[in-house]
Amino acid sequence: MLHFKYLLWLAVGVLLPQLVGSATLMSLLTQSLIYALFALGVGILLRQCGLVSFGHAAFFGISGYSVALLMRDLELGAASAIVLTLVALAIVAFLLGLVVSRIPGIAFGMLTLAIGQTVYLSALKSRETLGGADGLNINWPSSIFGLDVRLFYDPASMFVISWVVMLVTIYLLDRLFRSRFGSITSAIRDNEERARFIGLHVMLPKAVVYALSAVVSGLAGVLSAIYTGFISPETLHWSVSGTALIMTILGGVRYLWGPILGAIFYFFVKEYVGELTDYWMAMLGAVVIFIVVFAPNGVSGLLMQLQERRQKRKQDVIVRRMEVRS
Amino acid sequence: MLGISIFNGLVYGSLLIICASGLAMIYGLRRVVNFAHGALYMLGAYIGYTLSLYLNIWFALLLAPLAMGMIGVLLDKAVFRPLQERDPLSVLLVTFGLLLVIEDLVRAFWGRGSLSIEVPALLADSIELFGNPTPLYRLAVIGLGVGSMVLIWAWLRFSRTGLYVRAASTDPLTTAMMGVNTERVNALVVGVGTALAGLAGVAAAPMLSLAPSMGADVLVDSFVVVVIGGLGSLGGALISAILLGQVQSFGTIYLPGLSAVLPFLMMIAILIWRPSGLAGNRV
Repeated sequence: MLHFKYLLWLAVGVLLPQLVGSATLMSLLTQSLIYALFALGVGILLRQCGLVSFGHAAFFGISGYSVALLMRDLELGAASAIVLTLVALAIVAFLLGLVVSRIPGIAFGMLTLAIGQTVYLSALKSRETLGGADGLNINWPSSIFGLDVRLFYDPASMFVISWVVMLVTIYLLDRLFRSRFGSITSAIRDNEERARFIGLHVMLPKAVVYALSAVVSGLAGVLSAIYTGFISPETLHWSVSGTALIMTILGGVRYLWGPILGAIFYFFVKEYVGELTDYWMAMLGAVVIFIVVFAPNGVSGLLMQLQERRQKRKQDVIVRRMEVRS
Repeated sequence: MLGISIFNGLVYGSLLIICASGLAMIYGLRRVVNFAHGALYMLGAYIGYTLSLYLNIWFALLLAPLAMGMIGVLLDKAVFRPLQERDPLSVLLVTFGLLLVIEDLVRAFWGRGSLSIEVPALLADSIELFGNPTPLYRLAVIGLGVGSMVLIWAWLRFSRTGLYVRAASTDPLTTAMMGVNTERVNALVVGVGTALAGLAGVAAAPMLSLAPSMGADVLVDSFVVVVIGGLGSLGGALISAILLGQVQSFGTIYLPGLSAVLPFLMMIAILIWRPSGLAGNRV
């Protein structure tokens, strides 16, 4: 049943580009999907650990830079550069996670903000290796993982690729968080002290979730670097982390697909409200406030609530009918 | 050379302490990490700009913080108080939303371009200090920083309201049981904190140009100051603001490659060494 659902969603993703006529809409969807994966990275940290990161743009941007450097300076192939980057990112983020996740709640947010800005400013200053404020153009080979590189540049095919990556990521994360590991991290999130009292190791799981969220964001960074063929310090700025956080909040984190929905919602507000008025950021801010105050589980939470209510009504009708019959 | 560095560090440190002390006070009483603080600083600068056009900069320095104080009280009544039972994270996210709204409102009223305020004629000259020509206005900014810190300290230390503020920041429930109207104390403190952000904005305006995005840098630096000092601690914030001003000023000369990163490295080191900041949990 679970697998059937994923297959259904896969079919939706493959068919969607065929149905979308407009090229602007297609590139909008592709862009929002890449950012959706980024927001998912931020979201799992919030969902499993209750930690808000203001510095995930660092992982998003670093992965692009790292792939570019590995290909340029070490002359690695694209696939090995990407795999090596993600593995290295996981290790670095795990070690970093061991240190930073000891810092509670709000100070954690500030710390990630500081780390993120350190990375941003370092990339901005590094003119020789990283190209300073101009960033780097990435010379991708003609094929990546056996796929023609043109497939990655075209919004419609890139949409399908990102969609598949996203589905696989959600599937794996879902399996992981439904396992014992997921219960342990939720227990630590809800009450760290009690979790320690019942004999759980609290630092390690937090660091693992931190590393996972970094890798997911890094994966999005790699997709973005392939899609645009370009990486600049702008992707490292804290406002980018803030954007990913807004998407996460808009979508809600109770369900793994919440941040995905949030990212799509964000880009549509930006595109269509942005056309109506220059002040779409204010609108977005107002929406964020509204959602945090009145719908803490975001748009995904609202949708699920609606569905539950409808199901309950259906059940009520059935029960009433049975009562009438008896 | 050394004199100029210390001096410039002090100027920036003074601005930071005015802004960051507001942030620390709001955190100390409301337990709110106010992401909109930088936007309020920016709003203060723009209100000051308009006041300096119609009246002059002296009125701007006086009236803009007053207006911001009223906005702060409104902010407390409309946002912080209804949300006080929520977890700190959601309030933080609400202030993040406010930041976006305020920035766009300023863009709508004052436009996107950068504006500037003239240095007042009385302070336009330079004087000789340690053998260097020193703009009087910068000297006055240091004076303003010192003056406002002394005033706040005296207010908290010697007045009855100050006593209530200190009591409420230690234990709001017990303070309320003693018959203190803590809601009014909270509103007052958020008002004063916002007024301080506005004051820093107006004071900074003649030295920088005004732009709707000017709040971001100050916000990040104020966070660094408040976190290094220990969240909610005024004394800690004072020390770390002075420290940060010097680090930035000397960093640009001796470690130009690292200067922008230094404050963050300092913050990372201190947070890992003492997760609750220099002052710990004392207020």
